[in-house]
Amino acid sequence: MKRSANSTVITVSNTEHVNAACARIAPTWPLDQFIAVNPYWGWRTSPAPVAAATLGALGGTALTMPRSYFRGEWAAARLTKDDIEMAAAFMGERSLVDAAMTVLAEATEDSQLPIPRMALVTDVCDRESAPRPGQTWAEVVTHQISQHCAAHFDRWQGSWHPGREVDLFAGWRLQLSASHGVKWRHGASWVREQISCLPEQPDAAITMMLSAMSMPKTGQEAYLTALLLSVNGWAAWCAYERWQARLAGGDDDEIVGLLAIRLAWEWLLQIDGRSKSDEAMWNEWRQSWTGVNELANAISHEQRVDWLLQTATEMGYQSTLISALNKTTDPILEDVPSVQLVFCIDVRSEVIRRALETAAREIQTRGFAGFFGLPIAYSPVGSALKRPQLPGLMAPVFNVTETVAGGADLTGLRNERSAALGNRQRWNSFRSAPSSVFTFVESQGLLYGAKLVKDSLGHAHGPSKWEHDGLTKSSRQGLRPRLGLIDDDPKAAAELAHRVLRGMGLTTGLSPLVVLCGHGGQTMNNPHAAGLDCGACGGQTGEVNARVLADLLNSETVRTHLTELGIVVPFETRFIAGLHNTTTDEIELFDTESLPESHQSDLVRLRERLGAAGQLARSERADSLGLGDISKQPERLKRAVLQRANDWSQVRPEWGLAGNAAFIVAPRQRTRQMDLGGRSFLHDYDWRLDTDLAVLTLIMTAPMVVTNWINMQYHASTVDNRRYGSGNKMLHNVVGGRIGVFEGNGGDLRIGLSIQSLHDGHTLRHPPLRLSVFIEAPREGIDSIIGAHTVVHELVSNAWLNLLRIDPSTGQTERWTSSGWITA
Amino acid sequence: MSVTAAVSTGPATGALPLWHAALVLTPAAAAVFFAAVAARASTVASSWRLARAASLTMVVGAVLAVLVRAVTDDRAGMLVRSDSVGVAMLSLVSFIGWVVIRYSRSYLSGDPYEQSYVARLLATVAAVAVVVVANDLIVLVLAWTATSLALHGLLTFFGDRPVAIAVAHKKFILARCADVAMVAAVVAFASTFRTFRIDRIVSGAVVAGSLPTGARVGIALVALAALLKCAQLPFHGWLIQVMEAPTPVSALLHAGVVNLGGFVLLRFSPVVDRATETRALLVIVGTVTAVVAALVMTTRISVKVSLAWSTCAQMGFMLMQCGLGAWEMALLHLLAHSLYKAHAFLGAGGVVRLTQRKQLAMAPVAPTATSVSAAFVVAALTTFGAGWMWGSLPFTEHRSSAFVVLGLIVALAMVPLISVRMKAVGSRVSPKMFAAAIGVPLTYFALHDLFAHIVVGDGSAAPSPLLVLVAAAFVALFLVQAICAIAPSHPLVTRMYPWVYGGLFIDEAFTRVAFAVWAPPPPRSRVAPLPQRAAVAIFARATPQTASVVSPSPQVELLPAWNVA
Repeated sequence: MKRSANSTVITVSNTEHVNAACARIAPTWPLDQFIAVNPYWGWRTSPAPVAAATLGALGGTALTMPRSYFRGEWAAARLTKDDIEMAAAFMGERSLVDAAMTVLAEATEDSQLPIPRMALVTDVCDRESAPRPGQTWAEVVTHQISQHCAAHFDRWQGSWHPGREVDLFAGWRLQLSASHGVKWRHGASWVREQISCLPEQPDAAITMMLSAMSMPKTGQEAYLTALLLSVNGWAAWCAYERWQARLAGGDDDEIVGLLAIRLAWEWLLQIDGRSKSDEAMWNEWRQSWTGVNELANAISHEQRVDWLLQTATEMGYQSTLISALNKTTDPILEDVPSVQLVFCIDVRSEVIRRALETAAREIQTRGFAGFFGLPIAYSPVGSALKRPQLPGLMAPVFNVTETVAGGADLTGLRNERSAALGNRQRWNSFRSAPSSVFTFVESQGLLYGAKLVKDSLGHAHGPSKWEHDGLTKSSRQGLRPRLGLIDDDPKAAAELAHRVLRGMGLTTGLSPLVVLCGHGGQTMNNPHAAGLDCGACGGQTGEVNARVLADLLNSETVRTHLTELGIVVPFETRFIAGLHNTTTDEIELFDTESLPESHQSDLVRLRERLGAAGQLARSERADSLGLGDISKQPERLKRAVLQRANDWSQVRPEWGLAGNAAFIVAPRQRTRQMDLGGRSFLHDYDWRLDTDLAVLTLIMTAPMVVTNWINMQYHASTVDNRRYGSGNKMLHNVVGGRIGVFEGNGGDLRIGLSIQSLHDGHTLRHPPLRLSVFIEAPREGIDSIIGAHTVVHELVSNAWLNLLRIDPSTGQTERWTSSGWITA
Repeated sequence: MSVTAAVSTGPATGALPLWHAALVLTPAAAAVFFAAVAARASTVASSWRLARAASLTMVVGAVLAVLVRAVTDDRAGMLVRSDSVGVAMLSLVSFIGWVVIRYSRSYLSGDPYEQSYVARLLATVAAVAVVVVANDLIVLVLAWTATSLALHGLLTFFGDRPVAIAVAHKKFILARCADVAMVAAVVAFASTFRTFRIDRIVSGAVVAGSLPTGARVGIALVALAALLKCAQLPFHGWLIQVMEAPTPVSALLHAGVVNLGGFVLLRFSPVVDRATETRALLVIVGTVTAVVAALVMTTRISVKVSLAWSTCAQMGFMLMQCGLGAWEMALLHLLAHSLYKAHAFLGAGGVVRLTQRKQLAMAPVAPTATSVSAAFVVAALTTFGAGWMWGSLPFTEHRSSAFVVLGLIVALAMVPLISVRMKAVGSRVSPKMFAAAIGVPLTYFALHDLFAHIVVGDGSAAPSPLLVLVAAAFVALFLVQAICAIAPSHPLVTRMYPWVYGGLFIDEAFTRVAFAVWAPPPPRSRVAPLPQRAAVAIFARATPQTASVVSPSPQVELLPAWNVA
């Protein structure tokens, strides 16, 4: 610190490299808002195969399955010669067909060469000597950094933290100066001296260290990127902090601090391990970083076959869909359906929608983003919590809190609640304070015997609502979320309602009963529970959004203003909110007591239908849950599924979005007769109602991006679980109460999905296919949106998803290519 | 609680008939039998069914053992015994076994090594079930060693993980040291008392008046083994780092295995009471570990590691109670901690939901020196008041002087219940919390009296320097905790933090030495359900060896992904 004046001498010329490296890292959301993220988001500007090769060269990862996997697909006839030839023609790689056939005939698990990746200083040190037997420098450095990051970012696990007033980098300098955990050849005081030489600003420190290490300019960006990839979990967390800060209009630079810390380890290890004779070797190492491109090129060349096989597998999947889609569509029912239900586009909705339509033909279901287009945050009344209820790409605009019908005064309720929560807080500190834990155990420990019995035996209850902790049963009665905007500015509220109804395509032909059905999972003791909730609602259940929208659309004043905006909601139409429990396939309806008498019989019939649909959906899913033997016994199955949902040892309560492979943007008539197997996102869209393309633009820039994030999260977690997945659930160890998990004792923060979310022990539940997006719309519209929106263009043209088009008039399918649409 | 009580842990009043010996061995026998069958079962599902049958048999056997003990007196035989402490422990291990097996069934589901897990789990539980009923020293030592070896197979369940291997190895080294200490203790006791029977050794020591040297050495060695196996400083590192095994293994380890050190000392309680140097060893190491580990716990950032430091501290506390002669509290602590910790580990995934619930509450107001002192006064009044209400003042002849110190610890513990204040509620302390502040110490004293019926020492007072040490250590712990809360950025606090955060760097030093002597074995390969693509580091700029299928390799132009300046 004393010599920090040095930083003024060194020109800060590496900012661009630093920024570029940081921009490669995709964020990861905390566990209580665990939404899916495409971990390759920072690479979307490159074609997927190029990004894969580069990521391989820098981090040793692969974006496709091992070749033995494709051989298995071939053996199972899910991949055919036709698919390969079609893919080869599409990719312009006809010469590779023979090579691909060789792979399919011969590939074994061991025959594949390891991915060559650039060595870091830690790798060089590991080649020389281990820090201690059985341990590598790479592990030591990752562990040290990871522990420091966790201590710095933790708010909820520990009660004693390092100084909060300093940033990540400054905190690390203090921490390492006082640490005796690593044995340095030059001694601990040498490290202290070295660190004190570093500039205080992370980017200045990076510049100084890079020049001290004589890193050639051409290799710097690659080197810095590789360093961040070596602590990808925490880099992703820092990227999240930056993402949130930027959504709120600010910025956050902790990720630069992390990079500086990782680089500092390299810098220190290099000096500490270096003797004069090594100079040639270090020189060679440095020079190797100017050759990253050649290495990436070589990998890319090697992986051409893999991408051919990947594409062919995707085309094989598409071809079954295409032939079904090309068939005549379901005749459009001209009558207004008796009930309309709007579900989230989530792949799990497809199963229950199909079941509902089977149970009752006159029911119409529709697909729309599960947050129902409401940019809201939710604050339960009398609590300090405020959580976003919308996709992670967006910042909330409105805050929703709770009211009781009739608008009674809630002060008493707030006081009651904060007193109860305060008591719980006291009890929690009695349980966890260092001088209290002994007495806590002696006076309360035996009671945990009863808890062990209770939790071991389990039960079959529905989900409990923790958001109402600290409220008595009587005071939580009648509480309902409400958008303040309805009362403050009904006109603006109507404009919001107008946008939502247009997006849903529900501007005309409204049924007397319209159910807005969000969804959520139900699991116990599951750190990643939020991952089973609605991603569009920010990793929460869709209950709040559904109830708020129903309330908004039932408001008389809002309806009056809506009429002015051109949407007439029939007087008898009532909106009610529902929640699809994706673990148990029960559908709960909310606030039905405010429904007029005239609708009660409809409601009764609806409930019956929902029950029947739940049964159908459960028996369809039974096999995948290992309950195949009771799939024909509805009551037993229902109990078993509920029991599973409440089982604290259950690591596979449901399959979430595993298997997702398609996103179909079309009227439901197009798919109503298809069994999509719970693998397809469905968004209702009628191009004829969308003359200005506003709706399609929204779909392609928001839901399509979100589905890409989900699809790529599953993909990455499957093809390289060690880098982009969270490993084995049996070893999960929650960090900071909500930040993420370690796998086991420590190591890097783990992002993505666990092995148990993807694999059932016998078979892979998520075949990694890039999303196939089918849009039923004219060519020109789609083209113009691709042309106008960079992100959409990048995703489509760089093959991060497959874009196909269903011709509205002929039903024929076409595939997007950079040189135009071709018949699929 | 004097002479008559002492007799109950002294010579057993009756001989153990064969049927009774068989009964107390039923849980162990069931576990061994089903482990052997389950290992050979044709399907994974049937091996789980067998495991379940084993756990139910164990629970039934333990319940019967308790019932029979209730109607007979303590009995001791050649190899095993039936006494209150033993059957209490037997119930605990059977219950934990039942919980863990039930939990593991769906938790492990789909793992390629499920079946070997079942066998190892049952073997571990069986070994513990022998330890707790053993009356023969050799049986005890063998069973204790078997526990450790069977557990080793569970700790290395993920044998492909280098950390799992290294930590299990660290534990292995320490456990073997403990075994050596135990064998030496056996030799010392056997040569002094000419018997391997624990009940006779203990009664021999009680009758002898002043303890013979052989017994002194023997009990010190037993205490050393207990310190090693209870993960006391500086040998604690393995316990902290064994999060590399499936969660139910951690639950079993923390609830049913790590505490056996305390149990074995309980077996020898009258001998410990007569060996001042052993008491000092237990009190000093136990207290230091309890205080240091409890502080370190507050700096941990992952739930399981935090729980592990907590176990380390709780074991220290239990051993300290052993040293102070508060045997009934040591047993209570052992049992209560087991149940609490098993639940905490098995439910560790729920910590995210717990955090969500915590987020509902407004941030508490930071305590001040005044509020903390006031809270302490109230806590001391309620605690000692509750002690008085319970019918016996802490300083009456019924309670040993150790109890004043333990009462002080209770009073210090009550402070957070009383002092944390909420912004929204102001300084009002709710009646509920007052009820808790009185209820907690009342429960504490009630449990003390209850457990005094199960186990008692002979009430010999701990040497006062030890009592002073314990009191001072816990007051110091309380003060550090208070200062951290009152003035979190005080230089004293910030300077102390890295040391506490680093666990005083004891384990790093210990590991370096231990592994220099005996390096851990290399990791094994393990079937992985998802691809684990290997990567190899490239150190120099040269064309790497890649192309195998595609040939010839053309020189492609520079990739657009990488914009070289």
